[in-house]
Amino acid sequence: MIRGVIIMNDQGKPRLIKFYEFQPPEKQQELVRSIYRVLCSRAENVSNFIKADSLFGPDVRLVYKTFATLYFVFIFDKSENELAVIDLMQVFVETLNKCFREVCELDIVFNFYKVHTILDEIIMGGQVLETSSEEVASAVDAISRPLSLSLSLPLSLRVCVCARALVSSCEWVLRCNRHLLLQLSLRVLEHGAQKYLWLNSTECFFSSLYFLLFRFV
Amino acid sequence: MGSQGGFGQSKEFLDLIKSIGESRSKAEEDRIVLREVETLKVRLNDPNTPKYKLKEYIIRLLYVEMLGHDASFGYIHAVKMTHDENLLLKRTGYLAVTLFLNEDHDLIILIVNTIQKDLKSDNFLVVCAALNAVCRLINEETIPAVLPQVVDLLGHQKEAVRKKAVMALHRFSQKAPGSVSHLVSNFRKKLCDNDPGVMGAALCPLFDLINADVDKYKDLAVSFVNILKQVAERRLPKSYDYHQMPAPFIQIKLLKILSLLGTGDKKASEQMYTIVGDIMRKCDSTSNIGNAILYESICCVSSLHPNPKLLEAAADAIAKFLKSDSHNLKYLGIDALTRLIKINPEIAEQHQLAVIDCLEDPDDTLKRKTFDLLYKMTSSSNVEVIVDRMIEYMISINDSHYKTEIASRCVELAEQFAPNNQWFIQTMNKVFEHAADLVNAKVAHNLMKLIAEGFGEDDDTADSQLRSSAGFVAIRVESYLRIMGEPKLPSAFLQVICWVLGEYGIADGKYSASYIIGKLCDVAEAHPDDDTVKVVTGIMKIYSFEIASGNPVDLLPECQSLIEEMLASHSTDLQQRAYELQSIFTLDARAVKKIMPMDSTCDDIEIDKNLSFLDGYVQQAIENGAQPYIPESERLGISSISDFRSHDVHEPSTHALRFEAYELPKPSLPHNIPPVLASSTELVPVEPSYVIDIPHPTSAPSASDTGSSELKLRLDGVQKKWGRPTYSSPAPSSSSTDLVKVQNEAPRPDSASSSKPKTRDSSYDSRKQQTEIPPEKQRLAASLFGGSSKSEGRQPPSQKNSKTQNHTSDKSRSSKASAPDTAVKPSQPPPDLLDLGEPSIASSVPSVDPFKQFEGLFDFTQETTPASTGGVDGASKDSDFTSLFADMSLSAQSNIDPNPESNGLGGSKVEPTSPQLNKGPNLKEALEKDALVRQVGVTPSGQNPNLFKDLLG
Repeated sequence: MIRGVIIMNDQGKPRLIKFYEFQPPEKQQELVRSIYRVLCSRAENVSNFIKADSLFGPDVRLVYKTFATLYFVFIFDKSENELAVIDLMQVFVETLNKCFREVCELDIVFNFYKVHTILDEIIMGGQVLETSSEEVASAVDAISRPLSLSLSLPLSLRVCVCARALVSSCEWVLRCNRHLLLQLSLRVLEHGAQKYLWLNSTECFFSSLYFLLFRFV
Repeated sequence: MGSQGGFGQSKEFLDLIKSIGESRSKAEEDRIVLREVETLKVRLNDPNTPKYKLKEYIIRLLYVEMLGHDASFGYIHAVKMTHDENLLLKRTGYLAVTLFLNEDHDLIILIVNTIQKDLKSDNFLVVCAALNAVCRLINEETIPAVLPQVVDLLGHQKEAVRKKAVMALHRFSQKAPGSVSHLVSNFRKKLCDNDPGVMGAALCPLFDLINADVDKYKDLAVSFVNILKQVAERRLPKSYDYHQMPAPFIQIKLLKILSLLGTGDKKASEQMYTIVGDIMRKCDSTSNIGNAILYESICCVSSLHPNPKLLEAAADAIAKFLKSDSHNLKYLGIDALTRLIKINPEIAEQHQLAVIDCLEDPDDTLKRKTFDLLYKMTSSSNVEVIVDRMIEYMISINDSHYKTEIASRCVELAEQFAPNNQWFIQTMNKVFEHAADLVNAKVAHNLMKLIAEGFGEDDDTADSQLRSSAGFVAIRVESYLRIMGEPKLPSAFLQVICWVLGEYGIADGKYSASYIIGKLCDVAEAHPDDDTVKVVTGIMKIYSFEIASGNPVDLLPECQSLIEEMLASHSTDLQQRAYELQSIFTLDARAVKKIMPMDSTCDDIEIDKNLSFLDGYVQQAIENGAQPYIPESERLGISSISDFRSHDVHEPSTHALRFEAYELPKPSLPHNIPPVLASSTELVPVEPSYVIDIPHPTSAPSASDTGSSELKLRLDGVQKKWGRPTYSSPAPSSSSTDLVKVQNEAPRPDSASSSKPKTRDSSYDSRKQQTEIPPEKQRLAASLFGGSSKSEGRQPPSQKNSKTQNHTSDKSRSSKASAPDTAVKPSQPPPDLLDLGEPSIASSVPSVDPFKQFEGLFDFTQETTPASTGGVDGASKDSDFTSLFADMSLSAQSNIDPNPESNGLGGSKVEPTSPQLNKGPNLKEALEKDALVRQVGVTPSGQNPNLFKDLLG
């Protein structure tokens, strides 16, 4: 069973901590620190395995790998195969790459919520659930697509509202050509409407949207 | 800034992360995070916070906790968020809860109902989120609440859900094996699921179950072999390939299971030989994952019933691993070698140089693994080299955990294989010197026992036994006297030294008693109190032996000063021993001989726990009018019932308290008992008047000063009652100073480590030398491995036997091979398995999945709109559009109609969120509601009503 997954940077700052058996926060910090200490003492070009029985109990090992500025650490017991865990890590990183396009430390810091989601699709309750990065990426996609569109209304309704409002608003306010209008509405749909809905001047957009809707419906 | 796209955080959050990233010190970071915590506290408790903001706050809270700060104030908000209708918020809530809470947290009970509801949801994403949470949050008590739903989900149409349901059940069986024992058949059934992913998931619980009880699952061996065959023959869909290997993770799991099933079972093993051999042949040893499978196959081979062909293949693979440049592969090679060596010790010989290379590798992990290997292959012929190596390594490392392990291994090997006493003593000395505090206290004890027994069990005549023992001890004494020069010795080692010197220091007459006692006194000065006890015992022994043998004894001046120092010590133990030592000088030789018989460590001492030899004395005392002894339990019972009998009751209790009076040393009095008796008789009459005397503080202290501390104790109670601080203040203060002293003495510096860096350097140098000189290495190899071949020389006949046996079994297997294939197929439970090659797509057509419909809708717009842009006609397009979107909205509405809130369309857009948010202390309401619902769903256990009371105020 996999006991935990830790991502930390080369300064020992945790970027993601996930234990599959509960560890109180103080203990987590302590573990991260002691793992970091061990990792620092490792020379380059040595094996990726470390015996971790002093930290986690008998027969527990950890596999680590550095990707750019990040240490990825998987902690597991004897029911896993070390080399396979390295590959599991590879799957994880590949998936991150797919989801973030050229993943870097910043992505993981800013979106550690999403990283958790990805990890949940790969490992569940300490067991390896899925090892195909395509599968994982599409599953995460399925989760995050409605996520980015959802405010509080049900999903399909929301899309209709957006699209309609856009179309009508353009007609009514801008009187621009339909070409541009169409593209605009398409982009709203494609990009999950998110950029338009709450990153930029959310309130303003909504008020005009509702105003238009009332007129139209 | 593209990285911020993901889930749309606010600028605040980004700023927070940025400022933490830029902070230069831990203190600065802490300050920033604490400020953030304050903000979050305010914001989360503000009932007007909009929901999507709330979600972000929870994420920020997660971040804060990840950095090691307390976020418990927000747990309840995370719990509340799981109740939300919105998938995004719900998932955030679940994520936060799984990271925040342990499975026994009080708040879990508030989530169980939500989980129950979500497991029944027709949106599979919600179900998945709930299943994820189930894995982490459900404990033994709450399993029954969700178990039926999870079992139902095993038949869900989505394979992702089935997979997760299997995992959740696995988790249940880990947490509470009893709760799902009746569901084991489900795991077996899932082995023949249409989806290979689900089958792979089912392997995880089966692996654990088989690990726990192999015999129950022997029948599955055939199925597993079959599955593995299909996987290896690439009959799974292409999507399961990873780096050109077919479903490697499933293969590995299967190999693990096979090795469990085949252990010690010849028949089962025979079924597996072909497929394992096939896999080893097919492995692509250039890729990482290929090697992973290869390694797993070796492990499997090593636990199956031995098969010469497979063993040969495994040995070849190991050779490849060991020759590789990759440290990972070397590590695995060593590990595999460790496994294989159990079956065939000769294998190690081919790889001796590689093993020695690994032993000298800078990689610590590899080195330790190699020591594991050496530990396993130790025999009486190579024990010296191996243990020396181990000790050398032990000295060089700082990790106390591993040091402990390796030290205990050294001891174990030395005890088991020691070629001679001399070597054994030296080894043990070394181990004790460097890791005495780390080895089990039992080891020191064993060692002393071993010395006492004379180490001469194999000698028959008492004479030779004596001689060997004497020689043995003499060596020891000599070496210890040398070692004692060291400034600081670990206490366990000191104990051994003192014991040996005490018992045998003067036994062979080489050293005079005064010389050894002088040495011991020096040691006593250099070490803290606790260790002095051991030294004093040693001194006492020597003196008493001297006295017993009739030699004239004169007390050395340093010994005299030591005794005086001890008499004034705060440790009662030390005092006691000092008195004992003093009193020994007053005794004559005959008495001392009786007390301290020479060389009698091995004699059994019978302990009369009932103290029956005192019966006469007690009887006499009772006849003289003393009160009979009342056991403590009875005594307490009486005192609590009747106060008026306090006089009678207190008399025994003064005896019980008496030992505290010893705290003040009275060296002038040789016999302690009379004064104490006197004081107690004085005390008893004083006591009743004492309570009355409270208003006159001056008289009391003088009385209590002369009296024993039990008087003060009584005073303590009185003082508390009346709130007078004057009386008993001396008592607590003195005791507190005592405490302080004790505490000051307590943290003794641990064993001396000053010599470590030096030794490490030297060991490093020696290693260097060895790497430079191959002949030396070869010699080492010869000493390590040569022995094993020699010792093996005795065994060939048996080896041959087993080989021929294997051979015949092989033959029989080949003849049988076809039989099982045909015979077993009908009995095989999962016939669907064979259809793995054709993944069924039919099941993926959902009838009532809104998301699927939405996706269709989505595609539709994307496909049609470009088409219409291609067209030119504006007017027609316009109508197209409106009709299109009208359609869309219609269909969408019809989809959602069952959901009444959504009917309001745009105008009521915010409404679904508002009811909970706007109603003031909505948290309370939510909880209240939840508590109600829970009473229907899960019956709360005893404590939970209280919880709600607290929460609801």
